Amino acid sequence: MFGWHGKVLRVDLTQETTRVEEVDPKMAKDFIGGRGWAIKYLHDEMDPKTEPLAPENRLIFATGPLTATPAPTGNRYMVITKSPLTGALACSNAGGIFPTEMKRSGFDLFLFEGRASRPVYLWIHDGEAEIRPATHLWGKNVHEATDILLEETDAKARVACIGPAGENLVKIAAIMNDKHRAAARSGVGAVMGSKNLKAVVVRGTGDVPLAHPAEMKALSKEVRSEVSRDVKKGSSLREYGTAYVPVVTNEIGILPTRNFQTGVFEGTENISGHVLKEKFLRRPKPCFGCPIACGRDTEVDDPDYAGEGEGPEYETIAALGSACGVDNLAAVTKANYLCNELGLDTISAGVTISCAMEMFEKGFLPESDAGRPLRFGDADAVIALIKQAAYREGFGDLVAEGSYRLASHYGHPELAITAKKLEFPGYDPRGAKGMGLLYATSNIGASHMAGDIAYAEVFGVPERIDPLAIEDKPHLVHRFEDAFALIDAAGMCVFLTLRYLFDPHVDLWPTRLTQLMNYATGAGYTPETMLEAGERVYNLERLFLLEAGLTKADDTLPKRMLEEPLPDGPGKGQVVELDRMLPEFYRLRGWDENGVPTDEKLASLGLK
Amino acid sequence: MKVQLKLFATFRQYLPVGAEGSTVELEVPSGTRVTELLATIGIPQQESPMILVNGRGIDSDRILVEGDVVAVFPAMAGG
Repeated sequence: MFGWHGKVLRVDLTQETTRVEEVDPKMAKDFIGGRGWAIKYLHDEMDPKTEPLAPENRLIFATGPLTATPAPTGNRYMVITKSPLTGALACSNAGGIFPTEMKRSGFDLFLFEGRASRPVYLWIHDGEAEIRPATHLWGKNVHEATDILLEETDAKARVACIGPAGENLVKIAAIMNDKHRAAARSGVGAVMGSKNLKAVVVRGTGDVPLAHPAEMKALSKEVRSEVSRDVKKGSSLREYGTAYVPVVTNEIGILPTRNFQTGVFEGTENISGHVLKEKFLRRPKPCFGCPIACGRDTEVDDPDYAGEGEGPEYETIAALGSACGVDNLAAVTKANYLCNELGLDTISAGVTISCAMEMFEKGFLPESDAGRPLRFGDADAVIALIKQAAYREGFGDLVAEGSYRLASHYGHPELAITAKKLEFPGYDPRGAKGMGLLYATSNIGASHMAGDIAYAEVFGVPERIDPLAIEDKPHLVHRFEDAFALIDAAGMCVFLTLRYLFDPHVDLWPTRLTQLMNYATGAGYTPETMLEAGERVYNLERLFLLEAGLTKADDTLPKRMLEEPLPDGPGKGQVVELDRMLPEFYRLRGWDENGVPTDEKLASLGLK
Repeated sequence: MKVQLKLFATFRQYLPVGAEGSTVELEVPSGTRVTELLATIGIPQQESPMILVNGRGIDSDRILVEGDVVAVFPAMAGG
């Protein structure tokens, strides 16, 4: 095989054995890789009603066929499992260097099942796999554990690990890699912790065989020079990171503010990219082989919030900043560093804390429970709760459960701003209706990365569409979801791929992505069969959800989004008219009125 | 008439020296169009940025009125 190794490492943690399995070439092609292969394995092997923290849950690390190839930003991996936070699928994506190293070590995918009897880690080096004791690492934060692991394996190895949060089965725990990158959403860290798996360490010096290496290199070079040309003209991502976004979403009136009570935040300027650049930036940081370099290597001198690390990203600034009413970027950055060190999803942490703040201010959460006042704007409360949540200490034990369970505990589940119990990312859907339909229909819950139509509604990429319109959104959300499934499965980064490897119109036609896939794999895809594969993946994920017990009733949004109009900004007066978009979405997807894929649809995708 | 111009991300380079935050208030003649406003502060035509007027995207080369808030930022990605 080319592009793909065609090799899966199956790790039985109960028996502490590993086995290399060959991959069926037809399956490989039909499901692309990464996220696509993972759902096929989950579907074939796992009862979707399995308890997420039980040994029978599968935890999958999956690269794509383009990972570790010359394709620019072919450097991502995904973590796929059943989520303990949502009971739905988890598909968390991360970059950095680990994914490339993992692919170079000779495997496309790691599949973990069972539970080790004591803490262990997996050490892979050029095709060889060892399960090693990790008792000495249990309790260590992400940075400490990474440093020790590199010393006892190989200084050039790369580490993905959990921090105390994952160990403590915190439902919003992340899996961190390269210390500062996060496969964050859906509590994937808790699944890893439930298996007593502290870390996966990889060292790989192999190359990925390519079907058409000369063509691959030529097209990759062409794309890179286009990107470099644009970066030279002025790249906001290079100069400011994703931190330039708060001023934009605030201007449109969709920046999450005080638990999504509104979309306009008076402190926006203080938490924006130019402040990050002036005060905290050491240098831009690229993932492996990336010509953009949107990452931020940063340091905070402020004695109250001193620290160093990477970030914060836009989502983090929205969740731990404006959503909590905090306008101190030093504090937000420190909170971000803590989440990375402890292994927590910054989005879910922030939006769970903001939920607690709203409940406190409304008198639903007594101070005796919270341990301290929890008012919007209190940055120190945010930081304190992050630490408590990672260790399940005091009120942190409830924060660790995520906003839905926290709010339900106090009788106000409507104040948890989630879809399928996954906390909303940084776009208030009342001012960007496509995002509302996306949050309601994504197979993991409220995720922007499941089909980020905000690109078009907010940033005009590939073209500008009206964020407040609903008419065309069912069609476009369908297209974005399938396209993003494809990008995830291929192992590519959305930032470059969406802009440079899809044709520049909003129907998202993957011409150049298809070429790169064919140069890598030789599999003879067309743009049609690529998009069909994306749709296949999305539908198989949907079947998993339905068999797990989710229904049409879960394709919904909080009451605030459906019934409480935005009070300020350009979106003032707007709600999400989900009931006017969802039926058309189901119809376009070939599902019945209950959101169930029809036999005809499944047969057309080869799923029946 | 007075209008506000907000310059975000890489368009910050066009902010006048000493500007507070991202916003600058400008005095322009009645009937000024959005494209003319951008030209007065030196944004080249080929930049083709995203333009919002009062937080909403504009379709055509709109004529500005007193109090309009024009925001300019690159057609780029975030996450």
